[in-house]
Amino acid sequence: MTLEIAEGKSPILAIYSAEHRRLMEMLHPAGHQEYSEMLASLGVFLEEEILPISPKLDTGEVKIAGPRKKLMHQGICQIPFPREYGGLGLPFSVYASAIEMLGTADASICLSVEIHNAVAEGLNRFASVNQKGKYLPSLLSGKSLASFTLTEPASGSDAGSMATVAEKKGGEYSLNGSKMFITNAGEADLYLVFAKTRRGPSCFIVEAPNRGLTFGEDLKKLGMKGSRTSEVILSDCRVPEENLVGEEGKGADYAKEILHGARIIVAAMNVGIAQIAYEKSLGYSQDRKAFGKPIAEFQLIREKIANMKTEISAGRLLYLYASKIKEAGGDFASEASQAKVFATEMSLRVCDEAIQIHGGYGYTTDELHRHWRDARLLTIGEGTSEVLRMLIARREMARSQ
Amino acid sequence: MSVRLWAFSESEAAANDVAAVSSVLTSSAGGSYTVVGVDEAGAGLAGEDKIVLRGTEPLAGSPEATAEALARAAMDANPDVILVGSTRNGKEIAARVAVKLGLPCVSDIFGVSLSEGKLRGKRNIFAGKLIAEVAAPLPCVATVKLGVLSALPATPAKAVVRAAGDVKSKTRVAERREKQKGTVDLRAAKLIVSAGRGVKKKDDLAMIYDLATSLGGAVGCSRPLSSDMGWLPEEHHIGLTGVSVHPDLYLAVGISGQLQHVAGIKDSKIIAAVNSDRIAPIFEASDYGVVGDLYAVLPAIMKEIKARHH
Amino acid sequence: MKVAVCVKHAIDETELKIDSSGSPQLRGAASKMSTFDKNAVEEALRLKSVHTGEVAIFTVGTPEAKKTMKEALAMGADRGVLITADPMSMETSRTAELLAAALKNGGPYDLILCSEGSSDVYSGLVPPMLGEKLGLPYVGYVRKIEATGQTARLERALEDSIEVIEARFPLVASVVSEINEPRYPTLIQIMQAGKKPLQEVTPEALVPGLSPSPSLVTGMKAQAMARKKVVFEGAPDETAKKLLDALASEGVLPR
Repeated sequence: MTLEIAEGKSPILAIYSAEHRRLMEMLHPAGHQEYSEMLASLGVFLEEEILPISPKLDTGEVKIAGPRKKLMHQGICQIPFPREYGGLGLPFSVYASAIEMLGTADASICLSVEIHNAVAEGLNRFASVNQKGKYLPSLLSGKSLASFTLTEPASGSDAGSMATVAEKKGGEYSLNGSKMFITNAGEADLYLVFAKTRRGPSCFIVEAPNRGLTFGEDLKKLGMKGSRTSEVILSDCRVPEENLVGEEGKGADYAKEILHGARIIVAAMNVGIAQIAYEKSLGYSQDRKAFGKPIAEFQLIREKIANMKTEISAGRLLYLYASKIKEAGGDFASEASQAKVFATEMSLRVCDEAIQIHGGYGYTTDELHRHWRDARLLTIGEGTSEVLRMLIARREMARSQ
Repeated sequence: MSVRLWAFSESEAAANDVAAVSSVLTSSAGGSYTVVGVDEAGAGLAGEDKIVLRGTEPLAGSPEATAEALARAAMDANPDVILVGSTRNGKEIAARVAVKLGLPCVSDIFGVSLSEGKLRGKRNIFAGKLIAEVAAPLPCVATVKLGVLSALPATPAKAVVRAAGDVKSKTRVAERREKQKGTVDLRAAKLIVSAGRGVKKKDDLAMIYDLATSLGGAVGCSRPLSSDMGWLPEEHHIGLTGVSVHPDLYLAVGISGQLQHVAGIKDSKIIAAVNSDRIAPIFEASDYGVVGDLYAVLPAIMKEIKARHH
Repeated sequence: MKVAVCVKHAIDETELKIDSSGSPQLRGAASKMSTFDKNAVEEALRLKSVHTGEVAIFTVGTPEAKKTMKEALAMGADRGVLITADPMSMETSRTAELLAAALKNGGPYDLILCSEGSSDVYSGLVPPMLGEKLGLPYVGYVRKIEATGQTARLERALEDSIEVIEARFPLVASVVSEINEPRYPTLIQIMQAGKKPLQEVTPEALVPGLSPSPSLVTGMKAQAMARKKVVFEGAPDETAKKLLDALASEGVLPR
C-alpha cells in the first residue's frame, strides 16, 4: 500500500512554516519581509510541483531531470550568488532556508541541486573572472548542471591521498583516474574535478561531453534514489590549461572551503527531511486509533512528538547560526560541522521515530521509510560525522591551549 | 405578504426548475408567478401566467439582448422578484438586469423563502465548505441553483407576447458548436462510478466502465483526468468547476477527496469510495469506504456482483 | 495592447478551519489570490507577450490584498491599483461599481479580464455587471482569446455548447480555468515585484458621496456533512462483499 498525497494539496502544513518565518524576522530585522515573501512563494511551488511527485522519484516512475529543471528555472540556484552573474545576492541563511524547504519537498532533488550549487560556490570563490563569466550564468540559471567530483574509490575523508592525476601536455591537462559516489554523474554538463598535479591536488573544470570522460552504472543506493550517483572514469581526459581553477596545488584548500559551506546546506537539507517525517507522524498519530482513541492521546507517543519537535528546532537553529557567521565573514568551519553532525544524526532519530509511530505501515510503506533512507546518506557524505567531530574537537583543543 | 414573481429562463432545461422554485415561494408566501421566456420557446413552459419576450431578432443565444428585453418588460410590470435559472448565460442575464434596474442581485441560491420583505436563500461558499445565508430586499433579482427541486410538469397555456423592440447586441455569435452529448447526462444520473488519479493509465478506465455498466450507471471523473490528462471529455468532470451531481449512489474510485471534487457530489444520497490511502479525505466525505488497491478491489467487486446475479 | 485584470484576495478555502460548534474561523485564516484569477492574469500576460503592451491589476481589498497584488506583479504585471475596502462587506454591485470607476485610471483598456468566479463566494456576477456599467461588450466563460487589430474572437464554454463570439475592442471578458496553466513567478521576479507601482485609492476618492451598500449575506455556517464514514479494511474479496452488502441495504444497488 502507499500513503498517497491528496490531489493537489499536501497533508502537511505549509512548507514555509510560521516558525521559520518568525526566525527569519529575528535574523534579518531589516529585510525579512522580502525574504519571507520569496520563500513563501517558493514554498507554494514546492508544495504544488515537487512534493506530489516526490514518491515517484523514489520509485523511479518519474525521472529527476524534468522537475529539477522546473525548479532551477524558479531560481533556487541563484539565491546566494552575486547579481552580476545572474544571482540574487541574498544572504546565505535565506539560501539555506530554501534548501531546508526543498529537503522537505524531495530529498533527491535537494541533493542534486546542492551538489550543483557547491560547484557554483567553488567557481564563485576561486575561479578567474573569465571562468566565472563563462560558466556561472548558465549554472545559476539552471541551463547547465554541475557535478562536484572529488571522492574516489579509495579516498573519501582522506582527500589528500587522491590517486587521480593531471599531467600537463602542451597547452592541455590530461586527467587520469576514477572518482566514485559522484552525484549528477552522467547528467552534468560541467564537472569540477580534483586531480593531483606535481604541485599537489588541483581543481579543474571539465565540460561534458568529453572523450576521456565515461561513467559507471547508476549505483543502487539505500535512499536518495531519485538522484543519479555513479563512478566517473577519467581516461586521458583532456582539458585546456585555462580550465585549471585558481592555482595548482591549492585544490585541497579549495575543496575544504567549499565543503564548509556545503555542510551548512546539508544540515539544512536534513532538517527538512526530518520535518516532513515529523509532520506525517503528527498527522498519523491524530488519525490512527487504538484502544478507542487516537494514539496521539497516549503519553509515550506525545513524548516522541515533543522530542522530534525540539530536535528539529535545535537543528534549524544550528544551521542558521552557522549561516549567520558565514554571512558576517567569520570562520564558521566548527559551527558548520556542529550543525551537520547534529542535524544529520537528528534526522535519523526523527525518521526512525516516524517509522515507529506509523507502526506496521511505517515498515511497509516506501513513502514513509524513505525519509530515513534518504537521510541516512548524510552522516557519511560531505564529511563523515567522525571526521567532523575530529575537526570540532581539534578546534576546541587549539582554543583552550 | 403577497408577491409578484417572474420566473425567467432562456432555456427549456432551466425553465421547469425555476418554475418549481417559484411555485414553492408563492404557495408559502402568497402571491403569483409569471413564467417568462424568449422567442417561441416560451410557449410550452409550466406556469400560471406566461410572457414571451420577442425582439426584432431572436433573443435566445444573446444574453445581452435578452437582458435588455427582460429589463424593459420589467420596467413596465415591476415584479417584486425576478428569478433566473442559474446557467452561465442565466447569471449574465440576471447581473445585467440588476444593473439596468438598479436592483440587488444574488446568484446560485437554493432553499429559498420570502419573509419580512426580503427574498432569503442559501448559497454554497468556500468550495462548499460553508453555507451562506443571504437576504435581498425586494424588489430584487436572483439566480436559482438548478436540479434542487423536482421540475414542474409543463402546462400548455396562452402566452402573452411582450415585444421588446429593437434590441441589439454588441457581440456576434460567429459559430455555435453543440457539445457532443455523452450517452448520459451526469446531472440526471442515478448511479455514477467515478475515477481519479489512483487510476494509473488511460486504458485502465475500462475497469471503471465495466463496473459502471454492470451497475447500470454512468462514468464520471475528478478534474485531473479530464482537464489535465484529457482521458475523459469535460462533461465527465465532477466538481466545483465541473458538474454537480446528485445520484442515489456515487462510487469514487482512486479519488482522494479534495474539496473541489467533494463540492460536486455533496448532494448524493450515498457516497462510497475505494482508495488505498487510509487517511485520504474521501473517507471523511463518504458513507462507506474500502481501503485497498483499486486494482484488486474492483475485480473483487465485479466478481461479487456476478455472483449475486446468479 | 492594454489589459486590466480584476482580481480578488480571498480566504483560502482549503485552509479554512471550522471550530467544534460548526462556526468558521475566518479571523486570521490563510488567504491567497482567488484561485482562478491566476488564469486571468496569465492570459493577460500571454496577450501582452504576443501584442506588446501593459498589464494593470485592479482589486477591491483590505491591506492583506497587497500580497495578491504583489503576486500578480511578480507573475509579470506592470502595475496595480488597490481600492481599499473589504469586498465581503459590500453588495456585489458595489464591487463592480468601484472597479468600474477605478478602471478610468490609466485607461482606456482594450481588454478587461476577470475569472469565472472567485474561489470564496463564486457569484460570477461582477464581470457581467462590469460590462454593463462600463457599457462595453461582455463575453463570459472564455476559454480562448484571439486578437487581430480591433477585433476579438473569443471561444466561450457553455453547459451544452461552445460559442465563438466576435466582438470589437474594448471589451470585458471572464475566463475559465481551462484557458491556461498559470506560470509560477521566479524568485527574481518576486524580489522585483516590490519595486513596481502599487497605488492605493479609497472608495470615497473614486466615487464621492457613496451611500452604504452592505453585503446581502446574513450568516455563514459549516455544511453538515452527516456521512456515515464506515470504512472496511482487509482482503479485497471480504471488503468487496461488505461494501456491496452495505450498499444493498441502503437500497442503492440496482435489482
